This record gives sequence, C-alpha cells and structure tokens, in this order.
Amino acid sequence: MAHAIETHGLTRRFDGRVAVEGLSLSVEAGTVFGFLGPNGAGKTTTVRMLAALIAPTDGDAIVAGHALGVDDTALRGSVGILTEQPGLYDRLSARQNLRYFARLYDLEPAQADAQVERYLHLLELWDRRDEPVGTFSKGMRQKLAIARALLHEPAIVFLDEPTAALDPEAARTVRDFVKGLRAEGRTIFLTTHNLPEADELCDGIGIFQRRLLRVGSPAELRAGLFGAGTIVRVVGDAARLVPVARALAFVRDARADGETLTLQLDDPDSRNPDLVDALRAAGARIRYVERLQHSLEDVYLRLVGGHS
Amino acid sequence: MKKALIVLEKEWLELRLQRALLFATLFLPPLITFIAILGFFVIGKFAASTIRSAGPLPPEFASLSPLEIGQAIVGRQFSTLFLLLPIFIPSVLASYAIVGEKRERTLEPVLATPIRTWELLLGKMLAALLPALVITIASATLFVGGILAFAVSNRVRDMIVTPGWILAVIVDTPLLALIGVALIVVLSSRVNDPRTAQQISAVLVVPVLGLLFGQLAGVIVLGPAVALGIAAVLAVIAAGALWFATRLFQREVILTRWR
Repeated sequence: MAHAIETHGLTRRFDGRVAVEGLSLSVEAGTVFGFLGPNGAGKTTTVRMLAALIAPTDGDAIVAGHALGVDDTALRGSVGILTEQPGLYDRLSARQNLRYFARLYDLEPAQADAQVERYLHLLELWDRRDEPVGTFSKGMRQKLAIARALLHEPAIVFLDEPTAALDPEAARTVRDFVKGLRAEGRTIFLTTHNLPEADELCDGIGIFQRRLLRVGSPAELRAGLFGAGTIVRVVGDAARLVPVARALAFVRDARADGETLTLQLDDPDSRNPDLVDALRAAGARIRYVERLQHSLEDVYLRLVGGHS
Repeated sequence: MKKALIVLEKEWLELRLQRALLFATLFLPPLITFIAILGFFVIGKFAASTIRSAGPLPPEFASLSPLEIGQAIVGRQFSTLFLLLPIFIPSVLASYAIVGEKRERTLEPVLATPIRTWELLLGKMLAALLPALVITIASATLFVGGILAFAVSNRVRDMIVTPGWILAVIVDTPLLALIGVALIVVLSSRVNDPRTAQQISAVLVVPVLGLLFGQLAGVIVLGPAVALGIAAVLAVIAAGALWFATRLFQREVILTRWR
C-alpha cells in the first residue's frame, strides 16, 4: 500500500529546545493514524510541520506526494487541517466562513458554493447557514471547522484533537464522520488524548513524546508490551490451579484472583485447548475462557509513564 | 494577486458587519469636511470689524484683510486634517484586520491554505489603505469645492489650495497611510488588543502636527518642493517599515511567536 505520509529524521528545535526529535514514520494511504502523547509532547508542532505551516530544522518528509520545503503552497492545497482552535470568524455566517476558505483553497465561485452546501448538509448545519458563527455552540463550531478542512476534498486530513471539549453526542457525530472519511479512502492523521477514541478509530498508532516511542496497530502495541494472554474463570478458588498452569511449557506467567485465573502465554489461539484440558484434568470446573485484553490506556501509560 | 482580492473582499464583508467601526472610520471624514466648509463659510460672513488677530501671523498674511485672514486661518487648519486622516483611518482598520485576527486565533487556518504570505499581507493592507485613501481624497475634493465656492477672494483660495497641499494630499498621504499600516503589522506581533496598536500608531500624528504648527508659525511653507521632499523621506520610511513588517509577518513567526 502506498504511503500518504513519510518522514525521515524530522526534527524541530525552538531556540535550542528540541520539540520534535528525529521522527521517522510512514502512514499508509486510506488509514486513520493516531498520534498520541501528553501535553507539550510536540504533537501540534509535528502536525504543523507536516501541513507545511512551519519548517523542520532537520530531516525531510513527503506528504501527499509533495516533498516538504519544495513546493509548500501546493502541499498545503493537498491537505486539510483542523487546527487546535476552530479559529472561525464570529461575525460571519457559517456559509460566509466556508466560502472564504473554499476560495482560498482555489475553488471557483460556483464550485465553492456547491462544496459549502454539501458540507453544511453533511454536518447538519444547513439550517443555521446564514447565522453568525458567534452564536454557535462549541460542537457546531467544531463541525464547521471540520467542514472547512474538507472543502477542497484533500487526500490527507490532519485532525488536532477533534473531539476535545465536545459533549458525548457531538463527539459521536464527529467520530462517525471520521469513519466516513476513512471509508471514502482518505488518510486521517489524528492527534488525541482520548484513548478509547483512538482505539476505536485508528488503524495505526504512534505514541510520541518529543520522539516516537512506539508505533504499530493497537493490537500490535498491546501484544508487544504485554504479550498475549487468556483469562479463565472457574468455580471456586483459582489459586490452587496456579501451579498446574505454571507447569505447562507454553505458560509464561499465571496469577489468581478469587475465581479468576490470568495467564500470559505464547499463541493463545493454538494453546488454549491444551490449557483447558490441563486445568480440567486437575479438577477445574470452567465457567468462561476469554482473551486477555489490555486497553490502549495501559499501553500509553506504560510507554509515556516510563518515559516521563 | 487573486487571493489578495479574496482576503480584501472578506475584510470588507467583516467591516460592513461592524457598524460602529464603519461609522467611526468612514463617516467621520465627510462629517469633518462638512464642519470645515461650514466654518469657512460662516467666517466669510462675519463683519470684518469683528475679527481680531490673537497673535503674530505668518508673513504671507501681511497683505490680507481681516476677513481674508479669518478664512485663511480656518482653511489652513482644516486642510492639515487631510494629512491626519490617512493615518487615523487605516490604523483603525488594520488593527482590527490583523490584531483582531490574531486575537480570534483565525490566522492559523488561513495560513494552512495555499495562500502565500505576501498575498495575505497585501489583502490586509489594501483592505485598510483603499478606504482610507478613497475617503480622504473624496473629502479633500469636497473641501476644495467648498473653498472655491465660499472663499471671499482668490487670494484666500490660493493660500489654502496650494500646489504643495495638493501634492501632499495625493503623494504624502498614501505614504503616511502605508507607514501607519506597516506600523500596525509590526505592533501586531507584540500586542493583543487592537486599541493598543491604534494608540501606539498614533505617534505618527506628531510629525503632521509639527507641519501644522510650523505652517501657522510661518516657519514652514508647504510648497511643492517641501511636499516632494517630505514624500521622499516618507517613501524611505515606508520602504523600511514595509520591509520590517513583512519580516515579522511570516507564517512561522506568527504561529510560533505571536502570543
């Protein structure tokens, strides 16, 4: 699959302070890539570099087929960006706001009007199209800012905290919209603090704190950090089964908590039948066997916590 | 250039929605002009015996009658206003166009579009300059019409509507306006309130007031040579101010240093 974004050693310093250090990353076209990290980690600086808003101090990148620093004006025309702040003109109406940006994105007047109408309908803002944006709720402003990033139909969209400070309903609308964008084949570069959201939306995730700490799919990140595992819920105290489980060659660790036995093991898919047989042979009466799931939050906290 | 015009169009759209600002900037000059013409007309109707000079007068007033002196003083004082207007109007408009945008955090989405920095800056500057120049020159034309219509003698007319003053209005005022706008751009990187930018840029009024008092005291005669000399100095200052302003008005500086 082609890469929508490729960076090599991308670095940015501000007055001697390193904000982004040696970022090397590939994002496949048509996927949602989550860029996670704590406040001040350099996420916004990275997005600004990739959207050709600020220049890197070192390194290079190709975004939407454009090399950074070669024709940045063309690069900016090929990507859309939802900035940290919606940054809308409060006195202008929703339609006037979008029309201005559509024209700045090189759409001809008739085409601009058509796109403005299309996105106001899609984001359910058409009924409020002629009202000043200053009267809009936070959720409506965020939706309008997302529409602004898409007017010129960019192949790559950078979304910086798209659901921050939104109520659950508005956040759900935005998440569904992001899924729709991925279904259209667009590449989404998403920065967020909302880890369940990243887990739900992202095909790939980079955990970042000034430099890239780990990258992979959510499942790869979990497996890489915690290994695979199985939870077995039994009738009665599970502690007596711990020595039985530990005696099995493929079990790397076993812990008991009440009626629950938690096991780290290699290749659960093929080893679980052997595990169940061994436990039953030892007299266990099994209620459930489940996959051990670590949340993305566990992954994030281990990586970022271990680094700060 | 096309995008500079798109920016210009948006700025004027926003201006139209700010009634108080629009009134303060665009309706004030015609109002002042009307008052100037009215004052000039009224003084021309006074009986000559009621006008007394309160102090020493410029040498060229020596041969004038008291009535002519009255009209000449009123006319000259008001004529200098047309050198002040192009400082005042664009500084108000530009401070809202640039500092206001900075305060509302609307610059980053604009800079993220394929607009070139010079196109954005040009659009902003034209949005502030063009109304100021149009309204100043229109008001000055109206003022000249009033002088021609109500001057008690040709000598009075010739003392107010001089080639030097006409040159100053046509050549010096656009340069003063340009300096005012460039100063606002420079100030934009340091202040977050449009009013602060306006107040600091008001310092440009000082040399114009110096010209006014110099004229009234008879120290400076605003002839064509003086007007062109001032224009040359202003052109150098404007070029320097523009260079400095464009250095500060770069997307990287705006995004990372403007707070």
